[in-house]
Amino acid sequence: MTVSVYVPVAVSLLVAAISHQMAIRLSPTRGTVITVVGAAALCAAGATWALVLLSLTLLGFTQLAVEEATQRGVVLVQPVPGAVGVLAALALAFGLARVVRVTRARWATRRELRVLCRSCAPGELAVVPVSEPHAFAVPGRPGRVLVTQGLLALLDGKERRVVLAHERAHLAGRHHGLRATAEVCAAINPLLVPVREAVAFLVERGADEYAATVSGSREVTARALAKAALAESGDPRQSALGFVACEVTARVAALHAGPPRPRRLLPGGFLLLGVGTTAAAVQATLAFCRLIHWLWLS
Amino acid sequence: MVDPARAPSRRGAGELESEVLAALWAAARPLTTAQVQRAVDGDLAYNTVQTILARLYEKGLVDRASQGRRHLYRPTKGAEELAAEQMQALLRRGPDRQGVLQRFATSLSEEDAEALRAMLRLRRRR
Repeated sequence: MTVSVYVPVAVSLLVAAISHQMAIRLSPTRGTVITVVGAAALCAAGATWALVLLSLTLLGFTQLAVEEATQRGVVLVQPVPGAVGVLAALALAFGLARVVRVTRARWATRRELRVLCRSCAPGELAVVPVSEPHAFAVPGRPGRVLVTQGLLALLDGKERRVVLAHERAHLAGRHHGLRATAEVCAAINPLLVPVREAVAFLVERGADEYAATVSGSREVTARALAKAALAESGDPRQSALGFVACEVTARVAALHAGPPRPRRLLPGGFLLLGVGTTAAAVQATLAFCRLIHWLWLS
Repeated sequence: MVDPARAPSRRGAGELESEVLAALWAAARPLTTAQVQRAVDGDLAYNTVQTILARLYEKGLVDRASQGRRHLYRPTKGAEELAAEQMQALLRRGPDRQGVLQRFATSLSEEDAEALRAMLRLRRRR
């Protein structure tokens, strides 16, 4: 098989390496996030397919091919070593298991959130008498904004408007779907974990920007965010999770820095990497098919 | 994501209802219409607040008690206590499940918290 089968891994590493910088620099519009998620999906699909091809070599036709080639006096270039095939099969199995795990966790959490909302009074807003400050967007038809009484009591009227607008932006932009896709990509291809974090950060930034527009003040938005985060930091159990990319500090700094400038080139470059991966995967597939064709049909 | 450029400058009826309800929940004691107006902060006319409260009352989302000629409003309590228990349970789940929640603000490390406090102090001084 050719080198192209290894390209998706290389591109995934590259995408992962630059995703943190991208998350901070990109203007957090819906288009940007869709582009990044699309690139991640292409990378994940390419890498998974490469693993499938590498695993298939375990079925023994490389051995056959090598024997056949020796008989015919042809030298085969770069046959896949057996160990690589085994590693690929293992990686594939682990990846699929992780996808099942994160998908189950997502559905279970969503179900629980819906049940929780049903216990509350109807309407857009669901308030739970819990003292810790939390706010969540609960997707559904219609989506709901779930807030704790502790958070509402902590904020003034303008800041409460910020929280409501922020969560509403998540629902209107269907951010949960974008995050879920990025999460599945990172589950099947752990090299893409930084991209998942970048997507999480970008959707939060997008919702912040929307809230800043609705409230008419970046300052108030930053203050609401900082208040909520500082009140929450008392709980070490949650800090242990370490969602680095969602760093509130970076979001507050971005709000203070002024409205983001749109950059068209950066997301395009990201997508190009995804397309490159796909092209490599296609090329590897063609090489694979040629090998099979040569073995059995010539 | 909703593009900031396309964000509505005026809030719709549903959004205002949520804001008034949020203010009532934040207060933790029954409020008069004037107090609600102050709590929602600013730009809503007294009559608007009154209309919103009447609508919330019709929907059964707020309780109303009379005090002299004034009405005192507070959010209707449903099975919120049950919801609170359910949320505590949800927040105790493992990192897999926590990762799914789309939080408004994540918790901070001690270092980040200090940086954030410093940032806020700096803004206030300017």
